[in-house]
Amino acid sequence: MARKGVSYAKWGYIFSIPFVVTFIIFSLYPTLYTVVIGFTDLRGLGKTTFKFLSDPFANFTAILANVTFKQSLANTAIIWTMNFIPQITLALLLTAWFTTRRFQVKAQGAFKVLIYMPNIITAATIAILFNALFGYPKGPVNDLLIRLGFLDAPSNFHLQKWTSKGVIAFIQFWMWYGNSMIVLIAGVLGIDVTLFEAAEIDGANATQIFFRITLPRLKTIVLYVLITSMIGGLQMFDIPRLYNLGRPDNATLTSSVFIYNQAFSGSYLYNRASAASMIVFLIIVVLSVALFFIMRDKDEVKARKLERQIKRRGGVA
Amino acid sequence: MAGPPLVPYHEGGTEEACLFLYPDHENLHDAKEVSVMKRTMRILLMMALVASLAVSLFAMGAGEAPKDTRKIINLWSFTDEVPKMVEKYKQLHPEFDYEVRTTIIATTDGAYQPALDQALAGGGDNAPDLYCAEAAFVLKYTQGDAAHFAAPYKSLGINVDAKLKEADIAPYTVDIGTNDAGDLVGLGYQATGGAFIYRRSIAKDVWGSDDPAFVTSKVGPGWDRFFAAAEDLARKGYAIVSGDGDIWHAVEGSSPQGWIVNDKLFIDPTREAFLDMSKMMLEKGYNNDTTDWTDAWFADMKDAGSKKVFGFFGPAWLINYVMAGNSGGSKPGEGTYGDWGVCEPPVGFFWGGTWVLANNQSPVKNGVGKLIEWITLDSSNTGLQYYWANGTLDGPGGTKDTVASGTVMKKSDGTLPFLGGQNMFDVFVPAGAFATGKNKTQYDETINIYWRDQVDNYANGMKTKAQAIADFKRVVADNLAIDI
Repeated sequence: MARKGVSYAKWGYIFSIPFVVTFIIFSLYPTLYTVVIGFTDLRGLGKTTFKFLSDPFANFTAILANVTFKQSLANTAIIWTMNFIPQITLALLLTAWFTTRRFQVKAQGAFKVLIYMPNIITAATIAILFNALFGYPKGPVNDLLIRLGFLDAPSNFHLQKWTSKGVIAFIQFWMWYGNSMIVLIAGVLGIDVTLFEAAEIDGANATQIFFRITLPRLKTIVLYVLITSMIGGLQMFDIPRLYNLGRPDNATLTSSVFIYNQAFSGSYLYNRASAASMIVFLIIVVLSVALFFIMRDKDEVKARKLERQIKRRGGVA
Repeated sequence: MAGPPLVPYHEGGTEEACLFLYPDHENLHDAKEVSVMKRTMRILLMMALVASLAVSLFAMGAGEAPKDTRKIINLWSFTDEVPKMVEKYKQLHPEFDYEVRTTIIATTDGAYQPALDQALAGGGDNAPDLYCAEAAFVLKYTQGDAAHFAAPYKSLGINVDAKLKEADIAPYTVDIGTNDAGDLVGLGYQATGGAFIYRRSIAKDVWGSDDPAFVTSKVGPGWDRFFAAAEDLARKGYAIVSGDGDIWHAVEGSSPQGWIVNDKLFIDPTREAFLDMSKMMLEKGYNNDTTDWTDAWFADMKDAGSKKVFGFFGPAWLINYVMAGNSGGSKPGEGTYGDWGVCEPPVGFFWGGTWVLANNQSPVKNGVGKLIEWITLDSSNTGLQYYWANGTLDGPGGTKDTVASGTVMKKSDGTLPFLGGQNMFDVFVPAGAFATGKNKTQYDETINIYWRDQVDNYANGMKTKAQAIADFKRVVADNLAIDI
């Protein structure tokens, strides 16, 4: 028999062609192009020709000296932190409730759907909705606070820097805690059930089980949630832009909104916008690496070290 | 010879069909080409049948207009207003045998300008021959970065000077449409000179008269008289305007200089004064402290705010497209509908509008010229502007609007039930005359957002005036790389 069977391997490559081609044209090429124009003089509407600058890092130094850019980075960090701490806390708490073996939460499916729901709505819609909710001098939040007696006269929330930051952090939190919860629940379900059973037999209570077994076992999943949330948070764009265009007084101007403004708000500084994008990209890389380092499994590192020492000694006999 | 059928959009095949036909026609007498020709013709015929546009292809060969080497006009616009006008023109003028291919891209997210720029720069058969620009960015196409694409109207076979005089076009429209060489390259069909639109019942309550001429003398001329009127109104518990944004359009439009002078950021004293005007209005309760285009602003059009609002600044389109729909009624007696009047504003200004331009490289300048002349300069009863002003473009009963031609305005009827039967053109015609277009820049939209933000912060006592101005300069420099 000359033929042992049909090889389907080539079909794998053939079927992946549409993706690869799309990826190269619409994702890889624009990314590389962005990297390149960061070193050029490309600015102005409709221009396609550019030349490299004599000082290749001129755009980068201009961006690093830009007060508004620094402000936008600080805003991004503040808003992301304000959203992430309550988000992960609530997600962990809900995970603990939904996965506990002590009692069964009734209508779990319905709760999960409801909690996940905000994530399905387009961020743009939510941003505009919240802008209207916090409207001044007429708006549902103002009306409610006056009815309940918390305020005597309508308050101009859109002019208050911390309220604006808080609203954006809240939208971010509200949209994503359900998503984080689902990921964490999936992580918990992946933990070996015998561990929980053993702990229960040994007399551990729910709190002990959560902190001593669930959480340590969830570490990689928490790291995953942390990093994806951080990357998403540093690219936060639609909500701050549509909520109030980065106002008041740049209080909600995030780095992505800043980059957008550089490129598309009138002067078309494409070169400086891509330099700023590259700086944000580097920040994300550095922070991700740092997180991996901090969250690494110290016991495993120790174990591996030991293994190597043993091997060097010629192995255990 | 039958004219081409009315086909607003083109199927893919025809474009190629035209490309085939064109060179072949010129080689008709070349014997060597005949066999190739036959085959090409067969393919051509097939494609033409498929696209069912054969008639327009015959029309191409007819050569009725010797000046134009093509019978297709590419039209670019950001709304369907101008395309609809062109359809109407073709209905009225069956002898106009050009096929118009329309491209509409909304200005949302700044999508229109980059696409138009690419199409203009790219050239070729699909380049725009006729294109539209909005007030917010028209200067870029008439005097700014993209001005070299625009063809002077006189090169389109239009007798510009005579027609301008005959139609009595508002000067600011001409200012904006004139390039640096002094040639007219763009004109609008609307006039967007602003007026003060006030509540008749409130005027009667405070001053005992709602006559437009009387109210004009109360709210102007100049801001001092306007704020004196505000004081009268405040004593009776009324707000003169809804928010400081309402007077901003008038302040902005009346300042002698724009945001950029000699490539540097410039804060005109008129505009700087807005800082204190805004603070003072807030402190004295002259407005409801709303922001334009928010729910509270719209609510003030039907008395749903904390204080009843006396008036709004705006052109005719604000009345028809914004206020009428938000007045809480649709006929006199309902909501505030019918309780409005129009008078002259304390300072002249204009707000919005569409300008029509032609491509310098266009091979169909003759046809484009006819369309442009009909849209922008024809002041007869069959010109576009007459239909537009009287709301009769799509039959009677349409929305009335002010148009650029003073001649048309004089013979048109601007009576609106919304204004209690007042003829709004009596006010809007002179309003167009004292508006100026010389204080605009292509950065206005962005810079205005930054400015209004700082004004809000200053007016609400969150920072000092010096700090607000310094912060304003910094955000402009940081975001737009404009020298300060």
